[in-house]
Amino acid sequence: MKKRFTIALAGNPNCGKTCIFNALTGARQHVGNYPGVTVESKSGRFELAGREIELIDLPGVYSLSSSSPEEEVVFRELTRPGIDLIVNVVDATIPQRSLYLTTQLAELAIPMLIALNMSDDAARKGLKYDLPKLEQYFGSPVVPTVGCKTGGVRPLLEKLAEIAGHPERHRARQLSYGPDIDDAVNTVAAAIDALGLKRFRHIPARFFAVKLLERDSSVRRIADFAPAHPEAEAQIRHLQDKHAIETDTFMADRRYAMLAGACRGAIIATGERRREISDKIDVVMTNKYIGLPLFFLIIYLTFWFTFTAADPLMGYIETGFAWLTDAVKAGWPDTVFPFLRNLVADGVIGGVGGVLVFLPNILFLFFAIALLEDSGYMARAAFVMDGVMRRFGLQGRSFVPLVLGFGCSVPAIMATRTIESERDRRVTIMVLPLMSCSARLPIYALIIPAFFAERYQAVMMWLIYLIGVAVALTAARILKSTLFRGDGEIYLMELPPYRMPTFRSLMLHMWDRGRMYVRKAGTIILTASVILYVCNTWPEKREFSKDYAAAAAEARRAGALTDAQIAVLEASGRLTPEQLEAVRSDRMLPPGSREAFVDPGPTAAQAAVLNAAQAADDAIARLENEKQAELMEYTISGRIGHALEPLFRPIGFDWKLTTASIGALAAKEVFVSQLGILYAEGQTDEESVPLREQLIRNYTPLQAFCIMVFCLLSIPCLATLAIIRRELNSRVYPVIEAAGLFTLAYVAALVVYQTGTLLQIGVRMIQ
Amino acid sequence: MLELKENSGKPGMENTRRHSSETPSGAAGLSLAELPVGATATIIKVMPGMRGRQKFADVGLVAGTELLMEAHAPFGGLLRVKVMETSMALHRDDAANIMLTRGEQSK
Repeated sequence: MKKRFTIALAGNPNCGKTCIFNALTGARQHVGNYPGVTVESKSGRFELAGREIELIDLPGVYSLSSSSPEEEVVFRELTRPGIDLIVNVVDATIPQRSLYLTTQLAELAIPMLIALNMSDDAARKGLKYDLPKLEQYFGSPVVPTVGCKTGGVRPLLEKLAEIAGHPERHRARQLSYGPDIDDAVNTVAAAIDALGLKRFRHIPARFFAVKLLERDSSVRRIADFAPAHPEAEAQIRHLQDKHAIETDTFMADRRYAMLAGACRGAIIATGERRREISDKIDVVMTNKYIGLPLFFLIIYLTFWFTFTAADPLMGYIETGFAWLTDAVKAGWPDTVFPFLRNLVADGVIGGVGGVLVFLPNILFLFFAIALLEDSGYMARAAFVMDGVMRRFGLQGRSFVPLVLGFGCSVPAIMATRTIESERDRRVTIMVLPLMSCSARLPIYALIIPAFFAERYQAVMMWLIYLIGVAVALTAARILKSTLFRGDGEIYLMELPPYRMPTFRSLMLHMWDRGRMYVRKAGTIILTASVILYVCNTWPEKREFSKDYAAAAAEARRAGALTDAQIAVLEASGRLTPEQLEAVRSDRMLPPGSREAFVDPGPTAAQAAVLNAAQAADDAIARLENEKQAELMEYTISGRIGHALEPLFRPIGFDWKLTTASIGALAAKEVFVSQLGILYAEGQTDEESVPLREQLIRNYTPLQAFCIMVFCLLSIPCLATLAIIRRELNSRVYPVIEAAGLFTLAYVAALVVYQTGTLLQIGVRMIQ
Repeated sequence: MLELKENSGKPGMENTRRHSSETPSGAAGLSLAELPVGATATIIKVMPGMRGRQKFADVGLVAGTELLMEAHAPFGGLLRVKVMETSMALHRDDAANIMLTRGEQSK
């Protein structure tokens, strides 16, 4: 008797397995990904009667064959040695469907325990189970459970504690397929037994014999069984010729027939079956005419919830990180490792903070998605959208992630996990970065008002988004007919009955995803921030083209306020004594004092003084910015920008735009702040008027349009590439993605710029 | 709406092309793709050579099963069928390989 006990939790999709898993293990679970397969299989531990129990939550499957990635995972997990007990979770409201898997699990001859889950719903539905009869039929103990209610798993726990000591007594019974088939199965089983395979000693040869007769691909792929193939094929032919039995579906046929018999004896349907509420809701939700409008409304609400409701929380986080930066700078004198100090304060806290700011969005989004998923609506959404999406080579389930891509590609790519077809999922992920995410908005918000007359601004914005969507859908079509070509995968999706999600499961779901996001911020983003910070600041230029300190002092002297001007300020009576003191000592207007002249506005004399003070401030700021620009040009980023300029010239980019696009790899917003630094306007955001003026002076509307097209289509931020790598579990895809999108963006910008130049469109300002 | 009606005839023909040796136009003639919304029927045969035959069999789409056509999706080929008390969505093209007889029938 060993202390550690391994239990596998198996059952159909939507049978409430995860509820039971969470009820048994609490929150002590970790999420693991199977390589190459998108399905998650969780494992958790708990203690029971002095034993440590490891519980494996397998993906939900209808059968043990290998017609889907999930089924292959379940097959692999259950046939490996070391599983002490299978807990088969059965949806008690639909016994016939759910027990189908049970018949196959029984063939593994691993001790089994059947949990009749949602037994309360079944009772309400008028289903009565004769437990002893069922136990006798399957040769396994049966316990009723209510997974999602507190205490609903107590019977299961009691039974587990009872049988954990001697599980071998509960080996499941072998079911009979009828004499003809059983003969064939026994013959093939004998052939397998003759091979004497050690690896599968713990599973009866009969199980594999049945699989070989079904021509199951997972079993046929196992080389060890190759010598038994001729016997299996001979039996398949024999059954076909002599008894007209097509073995591939005959087993399924027989299993359902056996179940019909078993159910008749052990399950009694009393009372009349009322039309379920679920079906009534669906008459509206999946209606041919109003199903789609309703879907769009629900998506809109999801968006509103994700982006509007999370907004105040983002403000708090932003303030928090700003405070942290200040605290570090205040507590760490800039004489001690100054470079490291700035790296930590500006690079690390700034970079990681910039990403963690989106955490409320992510959490709210995943809460909304969990709500849609757990309630069962997601399957309906896929159902009503499928027809539209299929025209673009995608499917119904691709739609929600694509729309979420307008917010942020990272959670959107994570949301593609609901797409069962691996190929469709890949295509969706690959085109997702083309949906213009919210981080690209600052770029458009900076450029559009600078170059386009007010009446065209909204149209331009809309056009940019539209280009993104059009390119994404076209790309999906192209990818589907080239790289990801193949027969359409078999589409078979269950529309589970609507269920009221429990708050606990929603929170768990949200927390699971949120934690991943935080982990990402702590690893990838942290590294990228450090690298970019170093590139933007190193090497530091020490000798400048002119003496900026002296020039600044000169500007300060030239712009100093005269006694007469100070007298005007004193006479205004609007400044505080402290502000006036500062004016007298510095001969400049202290920061913040301008607000005193806003309401009511300044008199003519006061305005003249304010303007003079502003001119002096600007002159000093300009010098400081010029110095920043020189520093920037000297750094790695600046040098890379210069080196790459010839490549970018054909699309209308100079070295400054080139450098800014490289910075945008960290996060798209960086393009704006980087450009601000390069254009020597110091701290810049999209509202910055001086930066806009600089842009107007340096670029044409055509170039501006090329900038936007390039930023829209080009390589997504590193976080997106990292998540692509993780979700597709491949190092190749992010590289293809980056190269592909760069080429796409380059070609698009090239065509636009060269055509525009040739036809003289947008080369002068339109006003 | 119109489009859907047009479509409902097509899958049978497509099917003919795909498995030319096994046309579904047997004596019964009614395939799942042609079953109107709200109607019930019993499966009499699942065409051999249908792709993913086993996958459909696993969810109960085998001869003798009774099913109900619940809905057609907007703009396209998805059908919603109630089988073994579960609603399943599947494609019209695939459904064309499942032959039915109207009304109830015991196995």
